[in-house]
Amino acid sequence: MTNPPFPNNNIGYLCTDWQVERGLGSKTALKLIDKDENLVEISYAKLTALSNQAANLLSSLGFQRGDRIMLLLSKTIEMYAFFLGGLKLGLNSCILFNSIGEDSIVERVKDTETKAIISTSKMNFRLVKVLQKLDASFRVLLVDENQTEEQFVGIHDQLIHSSTQFSTSATDPEQYSHFHFTSGSTGKPKAVQHCHAGIIDHLRSFEDVMQANPDDLFWCTADPGWVTGTTYGIIAPWASGLTQIQLDANYDPDLWMLIIERQKINILYTAPTVFRMMAQQPEAFYQQYDLSSLKRVYTVGEPLDPNLVLWGRKVFHCEIYDTWFQTETGSIMIANRPGLEVRPGSMGKPLPYLEAAILESEDHPLPENVQGLLCIRKPWNTMFREYVGNPLVYQNKFLGNFYSSGDIAYRDEDGYYWYIGRSDDVINTAGHLVSPFEIESAVMEVPHVLDCAVVGLPDELLYEKVVAFVVHDQQAQSLRKLDMDIKLYVSKKVASLASPKEIVFTDKIPKTKSGKVMRRVLKKQYLGQDVGDLSTMEE
Amino acid sequence: MEANDIVSRMNNVFREVFDNPTIEIFDEMTASDVVGWDSFSHINLITSLEIEFDIEFTQQEAFGFKTVGELKSAIESKLMH
Repeated sequence: MTNPPFPNNNIGYLCTDWQVERGLGSKTALKLIDKDENLVEISYAKLTALSNQAANLLSSLGFQRGDRIMLLLSKTIEMYAFFLGGLKLGLNSCILFNSIGEDSIVERVKDTETKAIISTSKMNFRLVKVLQKLDASFRVLLVDENQTEEQFVGIHDQLIHSSTQFSTSATDPEQYSHFHFTSGSTGKPKAVQHCHAGIIDHLRSFEDVMQANPDDLFWCTADPGWVTGTTYGIIAPWASGLTQIQLDANYDPDLWMLIIERQKINILYTAPTVFRMMAQQPEAFYQQYDLSSLKRVYTVGEPLDPNLVLWGRKVFHCEIYDTWFQTETGSIMIANRPGLEVRPGSMGKPLPYLEAAILESEDHPLPENVQGLLCIRKPWNTMFREYVGNPLVYQNKFLGNFYSSGDIAYRDEDGYYWYIGRSDDVINTAGHLVSPFEIESAVMEVPHVLDCAVVGLPDELLYEKVVAFVVHDQQAQSLRKLDMDIKLYVSKKVASLASPKEIVFTDKIPKTKSGKVMRRVLKKQYLGQDVGDLSTMEE
Repeated sequence: MEANDIVSRMNNVFREVFDNPTIEIFDEMTASDVVGWDSFSHINLITSLEIEFDIEFTQQEAFGFKTVGELKSAIESKLMH
């Protein structure tokens, strides 16, 4: 592992104090905009003070180096302050999606032995139910409350009155910093652990791919609950001393274009799904806005169709670069970027300090233009350190000296990589990987459901949509109501993005003689294609 | 159907879809005011309202609403015809 050339390896320190020490104290670190376009600007000096207050408050509440906490907050200054303050104190933090269901929160807390969630009273309706399923020692810290009632601890005034001075202890690069959850094709979502050494790759991937000037205004639209939102919506731009913008509101084409025009965004990092939503607007819509400040647009999360690259060039008058990485890789691995000819539809080329390969198995690299497993030679700094509590699953993610991404791709004769699909049953919907197993478990709990199977199928907007094939009993009176009951239950239990977009009622789920769901058959049947060899199917 | 009745039934649907018994809808309310109201749950909200009021929205209508007030007006209009 490379030794970081920093005064302190701590990511929280490098995003705040270090920038002040480098003379950027008065520079704007964050332009935070809400849905009504109200703008708050936070300088690096202010961000440092706020994160110090958060670190001091967490320390005074008894949290210690290595403790795990979760943040269930929207894009507010408190979210950024507690994430960075937690890092400074040596805590190991996870930012959750706001739409996460209560059972998913409970499982994540238990699986990682998390000590507390930091949230707002707006989330109490969900957290009350979460607390009923956790130990009495678990705490919910509310940033907008002062009252303390049982496990709910109001910290609003305590935060304001905490000292703005905090000295970050020397941090071992291998100390754990933050974690995210990701889905596999079987089992529950797993916690993917990262550490402070990752800052090296956060910075150099940002430099190699985004190639931002110090005065550029950067906007990463990803939710911070997603690895992109943490790496490139918090850490990389601030550790680089840039000004970044964040919007605490849902996607709205008018609002987004107004923000690009009025704030003069230079670099935009978003998702292909957003691009597809944007492309639903007529080109005349974009002609209403002055988008000339945009120098480059980047995407991540799912393949970017070549026609969307061409559409983006026409509408935004700049180059569109697709990038590839995963929760486990922690930072961009393969990318289109300035200085490299963009081949629309390609993932681009590996970053200079990485080695990618297409493997058939551990000792069998594949030649050019042959599809196989997309792998990255280990180690690199943002490589995940473990699936918390799942050492065997972690071990199985490696083929000898290579991390195996689970994605199928090929490399052309010029070294460009091209994505083909997943090697497993994981569904990529709007850039989020979801597990069919987790959704099936929830669907089976809905009254009148006898059996089900979940697959990902092509979708014009989402890349893949979640489709549930369901066998119901004779007591189900209205299929329309059952359809809705299933969707709402999955949304509550797992997350809204896992809610099936389509439910197909059927008499039987095709299974092998050993009882395994034949997803291949379901997909082919749905798409009206030849289902192929059915000799292993149960009768 | 009285306007208050529509609002009350809409409110129940919102509480059910977003699994939040504390929701009180108002005309100016937008997706940003409701925890969990994203593009995925929006589809569930629209379908649930269609079932509740036995109406149907076109795809363009379904994605055109920006406020609860606009949604309420559309429901009222469909119930009148």
